[in-house]
Amino acid sequence: MVEKIKVERFTCWYYDVLALQAITLAVHEHEILGIIGPANSGKTSFIRSLNRLNDLNLTFRKQGTVLLDGKDIYAMNPEALRRRVGMVFAMPLSLPMSVYDNVAYGPRRHGRRGKKRLDETVEKALVAASLWDEMKDRLSDSALKLSGGQQQRLCLARTLAVEPEVILFDEPCSGLDPISTAKVEETMLELKQKYTMVLVTNNIKQASRVSDRTAFFLSGELVEIDVPSRLFVTPRDKRTEDYVTGRFG
Amino acid sequence: MKSRTAQRIAFAVLLAVSCVVFLPVVSIFVILVKEGGGALTPEFLFTMPSEGMRSGGILPAIIGTLLIVVCAIAVTLPVGVLAAIYLNEYAKDNLLTRVIRLAIVNLAGVPSVVFGLFGLALFVMMLNLGVSVIAGALTLSIMELPSIITTSRNALSSVPASFREVSLSLGVSRWRTIRHVVLPNAVPGILTGAILSLARIAGETAPILFTAAAFYVTRLPHSLSDQVMALPYHLYIISTQIPNMPSKLTYGTALTLVLLVFLMSLAAIILRIIFRRRKKW
Ligand SMILES: Nc1ncnc2c1ncn2[C@@H]1O[C@H](COP(=O)(O)OP(=O)(O)OP(=O)(O)O)[C@@H](O)[C@H]1O
Ligand SMILES: [Mg+2]
Repeated sequence: MVEKIKVERFTCWYYDVLALQAITLAVHEHEILGIIGPANSGKTSFIRSLNRLNDLNLTFRKQGTVLLDGKDIYAMNPEALRRRVGMVFAMPLSLPMSVYDNVAYGPRRHGRRGKKRLDETVEKALVAASLWDEMKDRLSDSALKLSGGQQQRLCLARTLAVEPEVILFDEPCSGLDPISTAKVEETMLELKQKYTMVLVTNNIKQASRVSDRTAFFLSGELVEIDVPSRLFVTPRDKRTEDYVTGRFG
Repeated sequence: MKSRTAQRIAFAVLLAVSCVVFLPVVSIFVILVKEGGGALTPEFLFTMPSEGMRSGGILPAIIGTLLIVVCAIAVTLPVGVLAAIYLNEYAKDNLLTRVIRLAIVNLAGVPSVVFGLFGLALFVMMLNLGVSVIAGALTLSIMELPSIITTSRNALSSVPASFREVSLSLGVSRWRTIRHVVLPNAVPGILTGAILSLARIAGETAPILFTAAAFYVTRLPHSLSDQVMALPYHLYIISTQIPNMPSKLTYGTALTLVLLVFLMSLAAIILRIIFRRRKKW
C-alpha cells in the first residue's frame, strides 16, 4: 500500500482561530478517502491545505507537514502542486464560457496548442467524467446552461483535463438531486483505477457507499479513521458513534 | 389595502425622483438641438473659423478635442487598469497600498483648475513640453486616474472570487488567471468607467486652459506638441469674450461637443454590450 499523501501533525489557524489540530493521516494510492464531520469541523480547511488553496487566505497559518510522494508540498511551487492535485468544489463552478472552453481551460493555460490535440484532451476528459455522450453535440453551448449535475461532472472533466494524480472533492454533491449524485458517485468509482481521491461529504451514506476508508473530523481534530464497515458499524470512539447514529449535538 | 396605498405612494415618489434625474438631461438636449441644431452644417463642422470666429466653422476645436481625449484615455486607461490590478489582485494590505489608496481619494477631491496649474508647472515648464496636446492630455489623464482606478478596482472585485479559485486550482498562475478569467469578466465595468472619464475629459476646460488650449489657431495641428483649440475652451471664449457672437453658433458648438462625446462613448458602449453578452453568471 503506497502512501500517496502523508499528513503529519498538521495544525492551522485563521488569525487566531484554530481550524485543524495536529492532524496525522495518510491517503493511500488509488483509494477514495472519505472525510465526514459536522459543520465547522475543519473538513474544508483540511483538503484546501492539500492543494495549498488556503495560501490565498492571508490570515491562514499552519504548522506540520504534508508530503506528496514523500516530498513536502509547502516546499513546492504551488502551481506545479495544483496541477498534480486537482479540486472539485462544492458548488458547480463552471466558468462563464462554453463547455469546450471550460474543459480546455487548464490545458490551454498550460500551453497545449493545436486544435486536434485539444479536441482529444477534451473528449478524453469528458469521457472519463461520464459526460461525453450528453455533451458531444453541445460543446459550444454555454456551460451555465447545463443542469447542476452536468455542471458538476463538467467541473470534474475540467480537473481531469489537467491530468492530476490526486483529486480533492469538497462536498461535490451537496446541491445535487439523488440521480445526479448517483452519477457523480459512479464516475468517482470508475476513476479509482487511475486516481487517488479525497472526498469531503456531509452525507454519511455517501461516505459509506463510495469511500475505501473514512475519517471522522470533529472540532478540527481527527477522531477516527477506518474502513466504512467498521467506522459506521462498530466505531471505537463514542463521539463517532454519536455522530453516525445521528445522536449528535 | 393600506399597504397597497403605501406601495402606490412609494412608486409615485420613486417615479417622480427618476423624472427629476431624467428631465434635465432631456431638456438640455432639447434646448441644444432647438437653438443650435440649425448651425450643424458641413461647413460648420469641417472648416476653419473666420471673421474673428463669428462665422465659419469649428474644425480646429473638434480636431483638438478629439486629439486630447484620445491621448488622455490612451494614457490613463492602461495605467489606471494596471494600478487597479495591482491594488486588487496583488497588493497585500500594507502601508504602501494604504498610502496609495489615500492618495487616490485625495486626488479625486482636487479641483480641476489645480490640475491645470500642476500641468503647467510639471509638463509645460519642467518637462518642457510647452503648451501642447501632449501636456494637456497628460494633465487630464492624471486628473482622471483616480476615477479610472476606482471604477476598475470595483469591476475587478465584482468578479466572483470562486472564478479565481477554479483557475488557480488547475495550477494556472496568478497572472494568467487575471488575464484569462478576471479581466474578461471585468471589462464591462472597466468600460463603464472609461465612458464616464471620456465625457469628463472632453468637457473639462480648466486643466487644458494653461496646458493645451489656444484662443485661436490659423492651422490644424501637425503634431502632438502643437497648441490646439478645444471645444469646451472655444465655447467659453465665444460665449464670454466675443461680442456679437451669433447664439446659434454658440449652441451649435455645445451640441457638437455633446454629440462628439456621445460618438466616442458609443464605441465603448458597443464593446461593453459584446462583453456583457458573454458574462452570464
Ligand atoms: N476563511 C476563513 N476565515 C476565518 N475562519 C475560517 C475560514 N474558513 C474556515 N474558518 C473556520 O475554521 C473552522 C473550520 O472550518 P471549515 O470550513 O474547514 O469546516 P468544514 O468542516 O468544512 O465545515 P462545513 O461542513 O460547514 O463546510 C471553523 O471554525 C471556521 O469558522
Ligand atoms: Mg466545508
